[in-house]
Amino acid sequence: MERLAQLGRAGIASLQRLGRGHLLLLHMFSGITDLIRRPKLLIAQLYSVGVLSMLIITISGLFVGMVLGLQGFYILSQFGAEEALGVMVAASLVRELGPVVTALLFAGRAGSALTAEIGLMKATEQLSGLEMMAVDPIKRILTPRFIAGLLSMPLLAAIFSAIGVIGGHLVGVGLLGVDEGAYWSQMQAKIDLHEDIYNGVIKSIVFGFVCTWIALFQGHDCVPTSEGVSRATTRTVVHSALAILCLDFVLTALMFGE
Amino acid sequence: MSQQSDNSNEPLVKIRDLRFYRGERAIFDGIDIDIPRGSITAIMGPSGTGKTTLLKLIGGQLRPDAGTIHVDGQDVHKLNNKDLYKLRMRMGMLFQSGALLTDINVFENVAYPLREHTRLPESIIRKLVLIKLEAVGLRGARDLMPSELSGGMARRAALARAIVLDPKMIMYDEPFTGQDPISMGVLVQLIPRLNKASRLTSIVVSHDVQETTNIADMIYVISNGKVIAGGPSKQIANSTSFWVRQFMDGLPDGPVPFHFPAKPLEADILEKAAAHKTGATP
Ligand SMILES: Nc1ncnc2c1ncn2[C@@H]1O[C@H](COP(=O)(O)OP(=O)(O)OP(=O)(O)O)[C@@H](O)[C@H]1O
Ligand SMILES: [Mg+2]
Repeated sequence: MERLAQLGRAGIASLQRLGRGHLLLLHMFSGITDLIRRPKLLIAQLYSVGVLSMLIITISGLFVGMVLGLQGFYILSQFGAEEALGVMVAASLVRELGPVVTALLFAGRAGSALTAEIGLMKATEQLSGLEMMAVDPIKRILTPRFIAGLLSMPLLAAIFSAIGVIGGHLVGVGLLGVDEGAYWSQMQAKIDLHEDIYNGVIKSIVFGFVCTWIALFQGHDCVPTSEGVSRATTRTVVHSALAILCLDFVLTALMFGE
Repeated sequence: MSQQSDNSNEPLVKIRDLRFYRGERAIFDGIDIDIPRGSITAIMGPSGTGKTTLLKLIGGQLRPDAGTIHVDGQDVHKLNNKDLYKLRMRMGMLFQSGALLTDINVFENVAYPLREHTRLPESIIRKLVLIKLEAVGLRGARDLMPSELSGGMARRAALARAIVLDPKMIMYDEPFTGQDPISMGVLVQLIPRLNKASRLTSIVVSHDVQETTNIADMIYVISNGKVIAGGPSKQIANSTSFWVRQFMDGLPDGPVPFHFPAKPLEADILEKAAAHKTGATP
């Protein structure tokens, strides 16, 4: 009986959290009109959310591309199909690894930072202070960060994929002696703008939306103490990672299903 | 400003039968408070009675479970978001923690409400900010970041920010805590001066009985969810009520509890010991 009551309470609490999350989302959207009038706020956030994530994205992209080059070459050469290395590297990056790994890195680098920042602002009463200054903290602080996350993710994923293709080229063509012309021309012929690139972009927009939303909600909803903030930061990374991987499966099934 | 504000006999803040619960615990159990216009009203009470909570209720950041709070004739908790924000523009609040924005320096913190709510040219903003900073003695600290301020300095900077829009009403949450005797003296003079100069209404939450009785026109003492005394400060200071005397004179024994509600100490200790003996978890 006790167990059942506990389960019920937990269920209600998570439903309430879900409700608060959606209300927060609506509230953030309502701040977009204000943001258009003050693009400076957005630019500052694009810098801290997007530009500052670029280093880790570039380096990871390079290494993931290089590993793909190695593994791909090993498998393809067994069938004598080394020329297809370019296609393999590019397709796996654009369709899957680009959006997914970028989103995972983004959750770790930018998402956790957003949660900690908002959570600390809450714990130190800065958000309350803004409210009492008649400034809506959600519109003023959260909306620019949300839009910045949404815009940054596809761009970061594109950078990741592009660098990854170069990484694959370095290993495949530079090290293992795949024909350079074949690497590029096969890629050009087989990668489809609609099928591959658009779908990859759609994925990363969805991931950007979800990751930033989770990060901001966790920060805004956290218990305003140092422990609360640290838990919220952990939750951001865990929930984002799970959401990314589940959504990736669903989106892939929908896009490449038939 | 609406026509209500001309109605100068009405108190600026009118609290009726306010009830507020944190879980099972009643923080306010039906209190009535009037804050007259143009006065300095002190709210006193032991730590943890809900003085900060009261200010947050007045500012509309928390919702009461029952009862009403009218500010300038408007029911704070019935206003829509837009009107609530409009009302808050006429309220200044000094937070207990200061609540300065940590990513901008002192000058920008004080300028923040001006930049958000007015379209004043930079030169005028600069002038206004420097005047307010001068008033709290921090003109020289304007380029420091909030993390480089001491607690007392942060609170004074926050005070400058709270008054920069020239509000109609200011709520001070513990303005004197952490101030040395000199800045304390300055603040004790500053609060009445601000009040007179612009016909402000001030609410001061404080433990510093001496300083507060000196500057306040009215005093309310809250304890255990009730107003245990309220009236002109002379009357309260000379009150013979046990409750009030205990608080004003700082006596540990009396009707006002020093302890957070709990069972008797002996019972608590014995229970732990018994639990240890039997090896059960308490
Ligand atoms: N977020 C919260 N959740 C649950 N209880 C709270 C919360 N904030 C405050 N309380 C409780 O409400 C009571 C009143 O808190 P409040 O901060 O208003 O006290 P205070 O009178 O301002 O005390 P002090 O003089 O120490 O600042 C406290 O006893 C505290 O236990
Ligand atoms: Mg307090």
